Amino acid sequence: MSGSSSSRVHQGRILVEIAMRNLVASRVRTTVVGGIVALGVVVVVLGSSLLDSIDAGMTRSIQGSLGGHIQLYNAASRDPLALYGGTMGESVLEPISDFARLKGAVLTVPGVRLVVPMGIDQAMVSMGNVFDVALERLRADVRRRMANGPPAEDPEYEAHKAHLRRMATLLQQELRQAREIADETSGVYKDRKADFDALARAVEGGFWEHFDEDPLASLEFLENRVAPLSMDGGFTFIRYVGTDPEAFQKAFPGAQVVEGAPIPPGQRGVLLGKLYAEEWLKLRAARRLDKIREARDLHGRRIAKDEELQRWVKENTGQTRDILLQLDPVRTREAVRRLQAALGTKESDPARLVSALLDTDDRNFDARYRIFYAELAPLLQLYSVKVGDFITIKAPSRSGYVSSVNVPVYGFVEFRGLERSALAGMMSVLDIHTWRDLYGYLTPERAAEIARLKERAGATMVAREEAEAALFGGGDAPPAPSSAPQVIDENRLLAAGGGKGAREDLFLRRYGQAETDAGVALNAAVILEDPRRIEETMPLLVEAAAKAGVRVKAVTWLEASGIVGQSMKLLRMVLYLAVLIIFAVALVIINNAMVMATLQRVKEIGTMRAIGAQRRFVLSLVLVEVVTTGLVFGGLGAAAGIAIVRVIGWTGGIAATNDTMYFLFSGPALIPRLGAASLATSVAIVFLVSILSALYPALLAMRVTPLEAMQSDDG
Amino acid sequence: MPEPIVEAVDVAKVYQLGKTEVQALRHVDLVVERGEFLSIAGPSGSGKTTLLNLIGGVDVPTAGTVRVDGEDTSRLTERALTRLRLDHIGFIFQTFNLVAVLTVFQNVEFPLLLQGRMTSAERRRRVETLLESVGLAGHARHRPSELSGGQRQRVAVARALVGNPPLVLADEPTANLDSKTGGTIIDLMREMNRRDGTTFIFSTHDPKVMSHASAIVRLEDGRVIGRESAQGAEAR
Repeated sequence: MSGSSSSRVHQGRILVEIAMRNLVASRVRTTVVGGIVALGVVVVVLGSSLLDSIDAGMTRSIQGSLGGHIQLYNAASRDPLALYGGTMGESVLEPISDFARLKGAVLTVPGVRLVVPMGIDQAMVSMGNVFDVALERLRADVRRRMANGPPAEDPEYEAHKAHLRRMATLLQQELRQAREIADETSGVYKDRKADFDALARAVEGGFWEHFDEDPLASLEFLENRVAPLSMDGGFTFIRYVGTDPEAFQKAFPGAQVVEGAPIPPGQRGVLLGKLYAEEWLKLRAARRLDKIREARDLHGRRIAKDEELQRWVKENTGQTRDILLQLDPVRTREAVRRLQAALGTKESDPARLVSALLDTDDRNFDARYRIFYAELAPLLQLYSVKVGDFITIKAPSRSGYVSSVNVPVYGFVEFRGLERSALAGMMSVLDIHTWRDLYGYLTPERAAEIARLKERAGATMVAREEAEAALFGGGDAPPAPSSAPQVIDENRLLAAGGGKGAREDLFLRRYGQAETDAGVALNAAVILEDPRRIEETMPLLVEAAAKAGVRVKAVTWLEASGIVGQSMKLLRMVLYLAVLIIFAVALVIINNAMVMATLQRVKEIGTMRAIGAQRRFVLSLVLVEVVTTGLVFGGLGAAAGIAIVRVIGWTGGIAATNDTMYFLFSGPALIPRLGAASLATSVAIVFLVSILSALYPALLAMRVTPLEAMQSDDG
Repeated sequence: MPEPIVEAVDVAKVYQLGKTEVQALRHVDLVVERGEFLSIAGPSGSGKTTLLNLIGGVDVPTAGTVRVDGEDTSRLTERALTRLRLDHIGFIFQTFNLVAVLTVFQNVEFPLLLQGRMTSAERRRRVETLLESVGLAGHARHRPSELSGGQRQRVAVARALVGNPPLVLADEPTANLDSKTGGTIIDLMREMNRRDGTTFIFSTHDPKVMSHASAIVRLEDGRVIGRESAQGAEAR
């Protein structure tokens, strides 16, 4: 039987040949079946490349921003750790009372690179208002004049006074409008009558003429009776992670200081989340301009056609007060001059000029945007908090009292890839000492230690003096003189108690690593040398901690990222579901098509059987046909998928058109990456689906008897 | 004396047609010697096709035995029966039954591929020889749809003979052809029968076709009512 093996091959070839010719002969059926298979494969290839890239990006973003590789927290905690907040708000964790002990234990586990203490919480921040800022300036002037004696000419002092008077005038105008609307007989109206009277006094020339006679009393009147009428400022919420800033910076390269400087090692301070600053601290008119531009550039929205954008423009033209309040007479003149030139108008009323500037439409928007930032913005403080300012954070402590601490703002922090995520990008970074004050978990031993530390820290204070002055008193922040932080501090310290001197010490003190570590933390981020060893390292960490007497739970970064991590799982499930549906449909259609084809070919199959083809041959015939269709069109689909992925890559990726996409993409665009795994998966799926869908028609075909060939018109 | 190519003894075939039983064949005895050119004649429904099916091993009798080339068909497994058809029997169908998507050459080659005994070159030679002898040497690359009915049946004849089977069965091979073309097909079959000694059994109700046969077996109502040789009637 020399020809046997050769014939086997040729028998196989004739199988393929018959299958292929059948496919060509019934083009419509083949196209429909193949089209569905190809579509399925395109979805698998494209979807899984997209998901893989999203996965990789999010992994990078989360691991590099807050998650690390493994998170440890007290095993007695009822809630699970949720770094980005859970669906029910902040999770309540039992504290790890001595982080130093945990750190010591964890560092004995091989492969551990870093351990970072963390405590995540949210609290209120009081921002002060523009009146406060103007009053601080004036108070500084008054102090200077009282200390040095009033100079013959003091234009700065006069300008600051004029500014306050102008602010009072603006406030009065605003409130007068409200008063016209209000029902004059209502109780609320009567209560506010005193406010209107106070405001009227602050606007009058008489008040200002007599200001210098008793400047402190006049200041107090403005502070207590007028400033509170201005509604801006107030409170916002801040979400922060209390941590060892130095270790944090090493562990999380994704956390980048975009403005200002990192918190100096061992010192107290806060880095405010950039997104938080944009959303809550930025001048509203500027923020709205940004949002209009973003809506236009990313979403292709147009002012002329979009009600929301029109509303923003309207709000900008109607609410110029925020801007005008910031401008003292000198700056107002400058602003008028610049805007007149830029807008080419002779209008001299600052309110109308600003309103005209902000009255944007699709045609002039770019020009106006540029004018705003180039001409007007330099005269303004765009953010209500700037580097070097102090903010007051108030949080309910564990003891039940509200803790309130002042903390210097060193800069603004952005988490790479999560910049625009409302969940993750709002996060601010706080030193762990301040965090512990807010958290209010102070053991007696720790209190005693602090007392000792205070003494020691006094000695290093002078040496650090210059560095602090350079950071906080830097000459490029003209609206706030170098003494401003202390002045704000004094205004806010009542709640916190303690004298001014003690507070200043606090911010200049430099804590050693041991002091930073020795104390409470809520969770600890563990960074490994090799991120692939997460699963096997977790039990080792728990064991090592237990040996040191600390009972902790270990979770992966993904589990700890809560909602954020789940969104990834959800996406994957959606893709799998889509793939499942497509291939279920494909299965049904291929099955139907092949059943029809088999029924049409009963006579032909019967003939083959009569001539001597075994059942196996017939089975192979159907399988080869379906699998060939699957593989050929699957291949085409894969090629199309690869091409699409490539084209997306060449054209710069898929642009994120909203914040959710920006977050998912870990950046402004998603460049999908082809994975060998996704290609292999699609081939495997196609193969499986083809075989499954061919089974029933193949069974039918096998049941065709040779008798079918004999059926003729007469018996 | 060599053993007969076909030996049917007391064969019956009952079909279940809904609730009624159809007695397609009853008490049929038939011996076909090697080299015969036998016609099975009878009106429609007389059992011609059923008898051919039993002889061809595409069906098995309800009672009695059918031996083809010494093999009792009712004792063979499905696989072995298929193998018997492949190696020992060639089929020619009333409706030609070519594989539409294959060329003339491939249709003829098909049984050889299933047999798997020849090399590619041997197959080529064999197929070409057969095509030449049925007068279709120039049509090897054509598809069945490009051929006339007569040409298609010639291809079917070539396919039936390509594996050199001792027995060829043809069920109404001329029924779908005009009488002239039908005549040439019968002539072709007769020529092959004479040349190679291949036994042919064909059913027909066309007296003209019957006249070519070396013997005629007449069926009626599932029974053999007579057998006559070409030289004269020979009742059995």
